[in-house]
Amino acid sequence: MTQNAIEVHGLIKDYRRKRAVDGLDFEIPTGVLAGFLGPNGAGKTTTFRALLGLTRITEGRIEILGHPVPAEIQAVTKKLGAIVEEPGLIKALSGAVNMHVAADTLGFGHERIDELIDFVGLTEDANRKISEYSKGMRQRLALAAAMLGEPELLILDEPLDGLDPAGQRAFRSRLRALVEEGRTVVVSSHDLADIEALADYIVVIDHGRLVTQGPLESLLQGGATTVAVDDAVASIEALANAGIEASHVEGGLLVAENDGSRIIRILAGAGIYPRAVTPARSTLEAVFLGMTGEDER
Amino acid sequence: MSLLHAEYLKLSRRRIYPLMVVILAIFIGLAAFFLLALGQIAPEIAEDVPVLDRPEAYVVGAQQVASQTWFALILAVVVLGGELATTAWATALTRDARRVAHIAARAIVFVVASWLAMLVATAGWAVFVTIVSPGEGSPGLEGWLDIFWRLGLIQLAWVTLGMGVIASLRSIGPALGAAIGFSFIESLFALWGPYEAISLTAASTGLFQVGDQGFFDAFVPGGDLSTAHAVAIVLGWSVFGLLLTWWGLQRRDA
Repeated sequence: MTQNAIEVHGLIKDYRRKRAVDGLDFEIPTGVLAGFLGPNGAGKTTTFRALLGLTRITEGRIEILGHPVPAEIQAVTKKLGAIVEEPGLIKALSGAVNMHVAADTLGFGHERIDELIDFVGLTEDANRKISEYSKGMRQRLALAAAMLGEPELLILDEPLDGLDPAGQRAFRSRLRALVEEGRTVVVSSHDLADIEALADYIVVIDHGRLVTQGPLESLLQGGATTVAVDDAVASIEALANAGIEASHVEGGLLVAENDGSRIIRILAGAGIYPRAVTPARSTLEAVFLGMTGEDER
Repeated sequence: MSLLHAEYLKLSRRRIYPLMVVILAIFIGLAAFFLLALGQIAPEIAEDVPVLDRPEAYVVGAQQVASQTWFALILAVVVLGGELATTAWATALTRDARRVAHIAARAIVFVVASWLAMLVATAGWAVFVTIVSPGEGSPGLEGWLDIFWRLGLIQLAWVTLGMGVIASLRSIGPALGAAIGFSFIESLFALWGPYEAISLTAASTGLFQVGDQGFFDAFVPGGDLSTAHAVAIVLGWSVFGLLLTWWGLQRRDA
């Protein structure tokens, strides 16, 4: 096991008239469920395709499980499962036959097929054709196919897209179970609430560049503090005099400063003694919109 | 072996292959009717059509079957294209992994499938000949084996060309147009002497030396090619098809 499952440095991908990825750097540690976020056109799918050796990169360096890609892609192919864009299933064949085709194509045995079909809850539908499957069933079967080789790393592009709430919940629990087995799972999604409920680690990109990365909790807790006070108006004025923005929220103030002791000193200097000072937890949506400027677009 | 099994599963569970075999049977049945039966049923209508006697009629049938180049082309374009046009190819991570092995597995399965269809069509023609054609005798075991390997060799060339076209164009519609268009134009150019020496159509028919076909002689190129020359042409086009496939898949950026 390497310390980072994925390392990307200075990744550039040019199409004929467009730069899709522009000097992207990020790492994803081993054993986490990572959310890979970005607005439409940020370069998420292009980055995934580059990670999988499916598109030739213009510049930069990629390491997957310690192997440079695409130079050593064959060394990681069997340790890697992926769903890129639409699940790659053959509609004319049944779910079970698709699993056999995938196993044969990738050079894996057939021993785990029944177990994996059961894992994704499709045992009763295994002999139905893919053309009769719902989108959620296809996503689940694609996940089963991606897991044929017991991969150390799963890269899933929009796997929750189009699933109903029950399907999303079932899919999330299966992904979480995989991480608890020690695998690394990287998921891209447009749905920030999904990622917030699912991920331990976040990478945000925009315009083909890294915006931020890190553990989810540290991203959500950075930059603000909630303060419970009796006199909100006087507190806001005291903080404003010290150059700190604060606003009235239910139960107290939301202060744009993460140093709680500084807030206490300023308020105490004004004769105000807070009842409680706690780090404010933001939402992933607020962090994402603030960092990518999507709310201004 | 697992790759061959995967390709076999993909082809055998689809409707396209039996459907194409039925269409091939209809085409060959019509050709057999016009070339073998019409002259006997209504000689006044078929006055320019030579009467085909046995055993020559059997070989003419094999030549007719071999000229159905659309079968191998469409099979390769539609089946491989069905994967290239979707993300099955990408998801299975097969673009980089064992690419040459994948090309070989596909070529083998498509060629065998196409060859089996040609054998069925040839067998159907042979039954028709046995029932309606005058004369005596048949090619014999050695003659039939000769016909079989020649049919297989021709399928190799057209299958690999079909794979090459779809690998290069990646979209089934344009690839079908290009493949069938190539087959048509190539068959026209085959009638032009200088090109005949490298023409796949000429080599395909030239592998079945059936002698004087009267009215049809002007439309059947390759009659003067030696077997060795025809085999060299067919193998040359097969290598070209495989290289085109490899090159097309090498250009990975969609």
